[in-house]
Amino acid sequence: MSLAGYEFEVQRDDGLATEEMTLNMGPQHPSTHGVLRFVVKADGEIMRTALPDIGYLHRSIEKISEKVGYHGFMPYTDRVDYVSAMQCNQGWAMVCERAAGIEVPRRGEFCRVIACELGRIASHLLSVGTMVMDIGGMTPFTHAIREREKVNNLLEDLCGARLTFNYMRIGGVAWDLPPGYAEQVTAFLDQFGPLIAEYNDLISYNKIYVERLANVAAVSKEEAINYNLVGPNLRGCGFQYDVRRDEPYSIYPELDFDVPVGTGEVGTLGDCFDRYIVRIKELKESCKIVRQCLDMIPAGPVLARVAKKLKPPVGDAHVRVEASRGDMGWYVVSDGSEFPYRTKIRTGSFSAMSIVDKLSRGLMIADLIALIASLDVVAPEVDR
Amino acid sequence: MQSFIDSLIASGIFGGLPAEAVYPAMMFLFASLVVFGFVLPLVTITIWLERRVWSRIQSRVGPNRVGPQGVLQGLADGVKNILKEDVVPDAADRPLFVFAPYLLVWGFLATFVVIPFSSALVIADLNVGILYITAIVALSAVGVLMAGWASNNKWSLLGGIRSAAQVVSYEIPAGLALLPVVLLTGTLSTQGIIQAQGWAPWDWFLFHSPFTFIAAFAFYISALAETNRTPFDIPEAESELVAGFATEYSGFRFALFFLAEWGSLYVTGAIMAVVFLGGWQIPTGWTNNTVVLNIAQLGVFFLKAYFWVFLAMWIRATLPRIRVDQMMSLCWKYLVPLGFVNLVGTAVWMVIWPEGNAFVPYLMVVGTLALTVIFFRRVLYHLRRAKPELYFNPAI
Amino acid sequence: MASSIGQYLKHAKEAAATIFEGMSVTMSHFVRKPYTIQYPDRTAVRVQDTLPLRYRGILEVDLEICTGCLACERACPIDCIVIDAPKDKATRAMLLSRFDIDIAKCMYCGLCSEVCPTGSIHHTTEFEGADYSLESMIRRFVKDPVLAYKAKKGEETDPLIAPILDRGLEFLAEWAEPVDMKKYKKAQEEAAS
Repeated sequence: MSLAGYEFEVQRDDGLATEEMTLNMGPQHPSTHGVLRFVVKADGEIMRTALPDIGYLHRSIEKISEKVGYHGFMPYTDRVDYVSAMQCNQGWAMVCERAAGIEVPRRGEFCRVIACELGRIASHLLSVGTMVMDIGGMTPFTHAIREREKVNNLLEDLCGARLTFNYMRIGGVAWDLPPGYAEQVTAFLDQFGPLIAEYNDLISYNKIYVERLANVAAVSKEEAINYNLVGPNLRGCGFQYDVRRDEPYSIYPELDFDVPVGTGEVGTLGDCFDRYIVRIKELKESCKIVRQCLDMIPAGPVLARVAKKLKPPVGDAHVRVEASRGDMGWYVVSDGSEFPYRTKIRTGSFSAMSIVDKLSRGLMIADLIALIASLDVVAPEVDR
Repeated sequence: MQSFIDSLIASGIFGGLPAEAVYPAMMFLFASLVVFGFVLPLVTITIWLERRVWSRIQSRVGPNRVGPQGVLQGLADGVKNILKEDVVPDAADRPLFVFAPYLLVWGFLATFVVIPFSSALVIADLNVGILYITAIVALSAVGVLMAGWASNNKWSLLGGIRSAAQVVSYEIPAGLALLPVVLLTGTLSTQGIIQAQGWAPWDWFLFHSPFTFIAAFAFYISALAETNRTPFDIPEAESELVAGFATEYSGFRFALFFLAEWGSLYVTGAIMAVVFLGGWQIPTGWTNNTVVLNIAQLGVFFLKAYFWVFLAMWIRATLPRIRVDQMMSLCWKYLVPLGFVNLVGTAVWMVIWPEGNAFVPYLMVVGTLALTVIFFRRVLYHLRRAKPELYFNPAI
Repeated sequence: MASSIGQYLKHAKEAAATIFEGMSVTMSHFVRKPYTIQYPDRTAVRVQDTLPLRYRGILEVDLEICTGCLACERACPIDCIVIDAPKDKATRAMLLSRFDIDIAKCMYCGLCSEVCPTGSIHHTTEFEGADYSLESMIRRFVKDPVLAYKAKKGEETDPLIAPILDRGLEFLAEWAEPVDMKKYKKAQEEAAS
């Protein structure tokens, strides 16, 4: 983005000449969650606007899919949103299965949901941890990361990697649950439950923390829908929409879970605190889902046999999954060859960036940090 | 100090040197001795302690490699910083940029002049000691503002301006919180204030009346703000302003900022100990040896000072940062009115009970103990709920 | 006036109560065991030895059981595996003259080891791959051309190769076995009826 149009402006409305300061926040800044840049025009501490400048992490992942084929693209989907790669895996697997008409074994679906919900716990832990870190508290971050490490250990036992899982395959999952996995996961969930309460005691309802987040950058329901916010950001505005519940896929219809929404309990509905507390509540819901899955999981195979060179019939397919950052859309066009003709990934962070400009007006610089953190932006997901 | 040099001159140890030459030379020697023999190790230990306290709270291990349990980590960091390149940005205002860190360090070093470590160990017992401290501490604001401006970086500038606003504002509640004690003792001298207290907790000004109790915490909060500690670390707020006023600094100058930060943390603790906790007061009559007595006093003083230092570390590990406008409203809407209430309340208290209420101090000590018991019950509750793996060994 | 004093006291009380609570949580951490380990030199066991068999570390090839089928080379999405497997003109046996894996390129996705029929190419639990140059990151497994492994009918009898093959199959057993869904469903229906 050129800086034309963002030069210093001199305002003389009240007789005193003041200059707006153009601050360049990012791409190297401690709290822009990756390589993200904001052009901030500020009057002292008060911001006039903050324009997001994206593209620093563009890796043309969609284009890569046209060169590596359906099976080979699976590891690349890990990199779309590397904080919660499981749901991206699932999105790609599901869209290919829909395009090629492949059925997934039932146990495979359960494995997917268990892995996805563990991934969601890990992702939300990182989100709430970095949020507190951006507000200035160091300890809650390490506590959240400590728990995330335990989840990562579980996922490592499951699929051999801690971040870029590449766990799912078109037609199922690549690894069955290892022996004794249910006990391991249950043990983790048992000790994790009280720690959420402890985390709330430590920071969530801390007066300073609440004061920093309450009434900051409140989004109304209509605005949220107009700006295409999804996932926890949308639910934080009090709008109860979850792809898992409202457009069910996989085995989610059989599971019993709530969709927590923001209630404006400490300030306005849809402020930063609501977006934050929705994630805390979703941690509990994910734990609930994993427990149910471990109870219900049937025996059987986990992977359907799929051609090595998958050639879906000519046509297109679209699926939506509820990733940690909300509704993630996967669209693939097949021309009948072994390579996709076109792939499109619609991500939650990207649409969340569009509302930053509007919300940032009149906030303080410190609030912008809270806003970015509460939107849970992950820079690679913005750019792909 | 002066009498000591006088006695040295009288003993003829300097030969026929004129007293005008001996005084500055001795002062310089003594100052270097204090800085290198006392302040540097003190800061090093404080930084190490902070890092270890943090790491335990955060389920980490912390520095434990350099020296026994990592005590010498600060030394290693200092050597590393001195060996690094000292970058001065092209666009920076060079003289100011170079000078600013020294001003900051000067601001906290100068306070050591009036801190009484024991009944004899005080460099100068000024009769305006408390006033001197509040005045000289504000010097660090000039240093920070200078650093922020001279860096010619917008983040630094914001940090410098924030710091100036913060220190100038919090000078007022800090001064107001010290006034009740000055009222009670009628002196500004640090030694005088200590002598007006006793060794027992109920003789401390902290527990003298509810007003002094609140004043102590009001002063502590203001002092945290003046030394840029969390939750008032907004001038260097690393998640907002990268590193605030210190963004462009590197090498030794950067180390000086750290020296000043942790040094002034100790100064805060020391002032709290002097004014509200009875300083070096210990039970008398058990020894006649002046040296032993002074060492015991020194130990007690350090314990008291480090209690507050530890509290600041613990607070820093617990709380998030407040926003600029909240920082201002906390100062002007909460602490300043509270300061006046304390001042008037203490005056009224003195009119009603000129010799102090005989009963209230005991009550307050008991109340504080009860609060501590409640606190540790909460700690036990958290431990029972989380069922963690326990580990009582402080070393690792 | 009264309401603002009430607000004042309410805020002060809330702040004191929540900070009290938060500090009791942090105090309780003083007696908890640190979670971090002191990698690499102060761990009870080597970290590599604590990792699961599925761990996707640096790739390794057991040339003794490599059949030269090139499945891994084809599966690799980033072409970090290069294999030359010419036929020996005289004996008509398959030779392996080159088997290079560029560890600098490899993204540890596991697609190659998934398709390997004998478990010859597999991930180890080794993850320390730092080196001084990109050139030395290329692992060249073939020093001199060797004969490719030929699967025998029945048990492997060669005492030198059998343990290697067993280990390879152990790696292979971790992966899920794909099933033909139509056959599987039919079998299930039959079992139900």
